[in-house]
Amino acid sequence: MAATSPKLALGHFLAILILSFVQPAGFCLDADTQAGPVADTQNGDEQLKSLTLEQLGNIEVTTVTKEPEVLWRTPAAIFVITQQDIRRSGATTIPEALRLAPGVEVARISADQWAIGIRGFGSRLSRSVLVLIDGRIVYSPLTAGVYWEVQQYPMEDIDRIEVIRGPGGTIWGPNAVNGVINIITKSSKDTQGVLLSGGAGNVEQGFAEGHYGASASFAQNFTYRVYGMGFARTPEFHPEYGPRYDAWQGGQVGFRSDWSGGSRDSYTLSGDGYYQSFGENVATSSYNPPANYNLVGLAPLSGGNILWRWRRKLGEKKDLQLNAYYDRTSRHELNFGDIRNTVDVDTQYRFPLRWRQEITTGLSVYASHGREEQILTGLEFVPPIRTDTIFSGFLQDEVALLPNKLALFAGSKVLKTNYTGVLAEPSVRLLYTPSSTQTLWAAFTQAVRTPADVERDFYLASYLGPGPGGIPFFARFNANRNFQSERLNGYEAGYRRMLAAKFFVDLATFYNQYRNLLSEDLTGPIYLEPVPTPAHLLLPAEFGNGLKATSSGGEIVGEYRPKNFWRLRAWYSFLEFHVEKAPGSQDIGSAPQIQGSSPQNEVLLQTGFDLPKSITADFYVRYISKLPALSIPAYWTGDTTLGYNLTKQLRLTAVGQNLFQPSHFEFSYDPNGPVGIERSLFGKLTYRWE
Amino acid sequence: MKQGRTSNRAPRRSTILRSPRFVFALLILLLLAGIDLGAQPPKASESEIEAVYVFKFSQFITWPGKAQARPSFDICVLGDDPFAPYLDRTIRGETVDGKTVMDRHIARPQDAQGCSILYISRSEAFHLRQILIDTREWPVLTVSDIDNFVNQGGMIQFVLQSGRVRFEVNLAPATQAGLALSSELLKVAVDVKGANAQESH
Repeated sequence: MAATSPKLALGHFLAILILSFVQPAGFCLDADTQAGPVADTQNGDEQLKSLTLEQLGNIEVTTVTKEPEVLWRTPAAIFVITQQDIRRSGATTIPEALRLAPGVEVARISADQWAIGIRGFGSRLSRSVLVLIDGRIVYSPLTAGVYWEVQQYPMEDIDRIEVIRGPGGTIWGPNAVNGVINIITKSSKDTQGVLLSGGAGNVEQGFAEGHYGASASFAQNFTYRVYGMGFARTPEFHPEYGPRYDAWQGGQVGFRSDWSGGSRDSYTLSGDGYYQSFGENVATSSYNPPANYNLVGLAPLSGGNILWRWRRKLGEKKDLQLNAYYDRTSRHELNFGDIRNTVDVDTQYRFPLRWRQEITTGLSVYASHGREEQILTGLEFVPPIRTDTIFSGFLQDEVALLPNKLALFAGSKVLKTNYTGVLAEPSVRLLYTPSSTQTLWAAFTQAVRTPADVERDFYLASYLGPGPGGIPFFARFNANRNFQSERLNGYEAGYRRMLAAKFFVDLATFYNQYRNLLSEDLTGPIYLEPVPTPAHLLLPAEFGNGLKATSSGGEIVGEYRPKNFWRLRAWYSFLEFHVEKAPGSQDIGSAPQIQGSSPQNEVLLQTGFDLPKSITADFYVRYISKLPALSIPAYWTGDTTLGYNLTKQLRLTAVGQNLFQPSHFEFSYDPNGPVGIERSLFGKLTYRWE
Repeated sequence: MKQGRTSNRAPRRSTILRSPRFVFALLILLLLAGIDLGAQPPKASESEIEAVYVFKFSQFITWPGKAQARPSFDICVLGDDPFAPYLDRTIRGETVDGKTVMDRHIARPQDAQGCSILYISRSEAFHLRQILIDTREWPVLTVSDIDNFVNQGGMIQFVLQSGRVRFEVNLAPATQAGLALSSELLKVAVDVKGANAQESH
């Protein structure tokens, strides 16, 4: 049978079909997680403590290094979103809080979905970033991505979010290819007493969170908190086409307990459980009758986890840490189901060595057992039950070449998954501190994104129309049992400077080379396939490794505090992203879609005031440039948060988001076209009592 | 259906050094840094020194009886200064009068009632008067580096003198709170206000 459809139209259709299910983009992450603080400090606390008061008064200090120490000591592009940043941004979800960080693409798809990426590859599945909550990896080995809608935590109980742009280096975990997002919750000793918070608005129908924290009487230094949260959100704005599918409700409860037994040991035990009703609109295909259609409805998503952590301080700059967790997620989407049980145990050991070295080393074992439920004939995983495993280890040596001046960080991660042989991810970084108010760093890292179930086990069919003689004509992505790991060579450099004690600037630049990127390949001629009935023509395709890319750019952040009560911050992110077919590739032309789904420029301007009578006022203006492949135009918009204490224990907050337009588009993923993100206004009351 | 081989070949970009943007960025960085490879003596940051001071103050001050009943010796930080990590490391494993030293972050002055020492961050400068009023009756040592802290009723204020961290003391609020400051502490302070026949130990 001769092919009659133009290859391009077919390719376009396949692209839409695939994108409605999976966004082929960049990388994902692997099982290992070392979520401790980044480059640890090398100051002589013990020496300082042994001084007398007079001697303390004679030590020469840097002029104003009130900025967090972690920024100055880290040879990576790191940005910390503090609890204060979160509180004063009005963000009600973690993805919205991520808008505060430079280099991070946050595009809201609908009321309940976001397309997030770091330095490119932004997509619904966020395949390029390693995301951790208190050291627990929250990605799914099924898609090699993160389902942001189920990563929730009471916003008041988040201590900070550390965002690292760029490959994480050895300590953070391999496959942290484009960045690491580390969400750290507050220790229970910092959340004592009662907190109740709730609010409502036009788009935020209603939300509430609360916790109760106390210390137990049976043991000294034992604290705990229990919390609950719930929310309901209305669908965003859908232009005349399309059902309003994205209503979203859910709730989560959990606890955290912390105990420090003696001066050397500390333990944490925490757990969460959630349930959501998640509105979605998915494109599907059926062999019988041969048709493409959309499924619209509410998908139940639920899950829970329990995590235990032990840290022991063995000496100065010498410690041992052990993490273990169990995580269960259950996704019953309209077109497939995934029930997953994950177990992870990892350990990290840090110790000093002669010649001014500090060694950090670790081992981790991760196993994720998944069972995929088939709902449609056109979408299946073969085999439907699989356990993804990852064994990894890492070693990093930090050498003070010139004490307090020049440090070298060299190391590598080694990993092996059920889909790969043994892989190495080396990294080398330099940190140079020419004076007390500036830091210069540079890094080279190789990172690897290992194959996921969706590349190796996945079949996805789409009906193209009646073929010659009325025989139905389908195209199908077949599982590629030979899908290889994607690879990155990343070069980065950065500079930080404190000027005149009030102004801080942080510059980071990068150049990334990617190869073996996921491509959509046609694999052979059309043929007649008898089953599933009725017999139909089939155009075979698969996910291959046929794309490569380069990206370069940088982010510059400036902070200025002209007065104690007035703060200004601004950042600009630039990305030049070029994706193309590798030589010899059978890709149908998916590169422009990936390349054109990331904005070239992003800007954030923010200012905040602490006014008399406990009034706080914060204003944000942000700009995201266009996404050409999705026909999303550039936009400017603004947010504001105003707060005031009604009484000492009760605070009223008014928030306005997306204020410049009644609605604007940020991303297109819905089969019916982009969803307008609406202007949102809501009020919130927060009650605290101890 | 035959698949033609793709004919477009990507331009070669073999090394990063050929990328003008990267070279440019590197030049800017080097320029701004001002290469200086001379050895420099170790320095400590202001926050590190303040953290050690705050802990050491506990050894030169006596808290009144009712405060002795507290289960732990709490050092509380109010506001947003990045002070906590230094304090964490400084107090690890330490005890004062047989009680474990703990540090915690508090959101409101009311939460400071059980604290022995309260460090007030610069971010709270605008609420300072109210904070000191709220804490006035409690046996809590107030410490800060906010400008004019001692003149507004704070007990110990850090000041920078020729690049060194020193402190001033206002005894009046300390006496009112029932705290007794040792003469060894007062000797080192660069200025002591509100002294009127203060007993020392």
